[in-house]
Amino acid sequence: MSTFVEKLRQYSKPGYYDEFDYHWTMTIDLDRCTGCEACVVACQAENNLPIVGEERFAQSREIKWIRIERYWEGEYPNIKMGFIPMLCQHCDDAPCETACPVYATYHNQDGLNTQIYNRCIGTRTCAVYCPYEVRYFNWFTYTWDEPLEQQLNPDVSVREKGVMEKCTFCIQRIRIAKDNAKDDDRRRVRDGEVVPACVQSCPTEAMLFGNSKDPEAKVSKMMKNTRGYTVLKDLNTTPSIVYLKKVHA
Amino acid sequence: MSISVLDALQPAKKPALIVLVLVFGLFVGAWVHGKYFSDRSPIQPIDFSHRIHVTDNEIPCQHCHIYAERTPVAGVPSVSKCMGCHNSVPSVRESPEILKLATYWENREPIPWIKVYDLPDYVHFTHKRHIKAGLACQECHGPVETMDRITRVATMKMPWCVDCHTEREVEHGRDCWTCHK
Repeated sequence: MSTFVEKLRQYSKPGYYDEFDYHWTMTIDLDRCTGCEACVVACQAENNLPIVGEERFAQSREIKWIRIERYWEGEYPNIKMGFIPMLCQHCDDAPCETACPVYATYHNQDGLNTQIYNRCIGTRTCAVYCPYEVRYFNWFTYTWDEPLEQQLNPDVSVREKGVMEKCTFCIQRIRIAKDNAKDDDRRRVRDGEVVPACVQSCPTEAMLFGNSKDPEAKVSKMMKNTRGYTVLKDLNTTPSIVYLKKVHA
Repeated sequence: MSISVLDALQPAKKPALIVLVLVFGLFVGAWVHGKYFSDRSPIQPIDFSHRIHVTDNEIPCQHCHIYAERTPVAGVPSVSKCMGCHNSVPSVRESPEILKLATYWENREPIPWIKVYDLPDYVHFTHKRHIKAGLACQECHGPVETMDRITRVATMKMPWCVDCHTEREVEHGRDCWTCHK
């Protein structure tokens, strides 16, 4: 009983649910984004994303943890094109987490929105609840033709039919960085040690990734930029991705 | 004259008995399989004895399983590693098991060891972290130094992992993304 009271007290402490160990955050500078889709390809290679084929693509069953959304502004001939790379926003108040009946998606201590494949039973409720449409369902078990299965990343599970998946902020790289930090007897990961595949591949360095709890991190400085905004702010999902608005000359 | 419900059940008796026997057989079969036919202690291609190597000859674990300290996998020693010592141990060179080893060496084939501790693909366990945390190999793999043939001693199921992580108060050790990703 006393432990129950203790826990209740702990949980009702203000800020308990926002108290993260790290708070992984990404900033995407839309002024720099050229829409080259290098991040999309890098993600595909890093995270063992299947290639679904033309027919299933037409049925919108493609799986892309990061996609480039394209917008047109203005009327011809004064037309302008804009891009937004859209990936899992790792919302601090994620709608998808409230929906999962089996706790396969939850918020972990690093401010990440997790997705546990072996626990997922494929109700697809999270995908319905996600306002950013960044959750993807495996309608089939996809296979890789020989010798392409040799290029699968051993640090990432290959998902099977009936499992929901989404961007993990390259959790395998975060784990490796933490592992290396422990080897050097460091408690914390240094700024710039974790680089997700999309950030690494961006030719214009439009993306930045880091721990926003560290005020010295590049990403926390970038977040304070006046151009910064979060997508669908009125939904109060408090995303971990800050976009920097494109400025038209 | 009494009215019994058993008379009405008469035609169902025989199939019910058959089902009962089948269910009973299933349980007995599962038990026998788990006890005597599971692969907890598979017969290996070479009758390798950890007892002789570790207890009698005092070879430390990581002399052969060299990757345990620095990579996720502990690693099975290569045939050349075995031959490195056995070439220069004349007392056992003619024993039948060592001759088997020599055959693999001459044919340039790896020894098809049967994996005893196998985790599912969605579990990303790392030996490195556990060795560096100061765990002895025996804490998970049991008294290997006394085994003539390796026997799996732990279930290697998730509750078994989580129990240890809870007991030792591993920092964020119960986060799913610690092992599943």
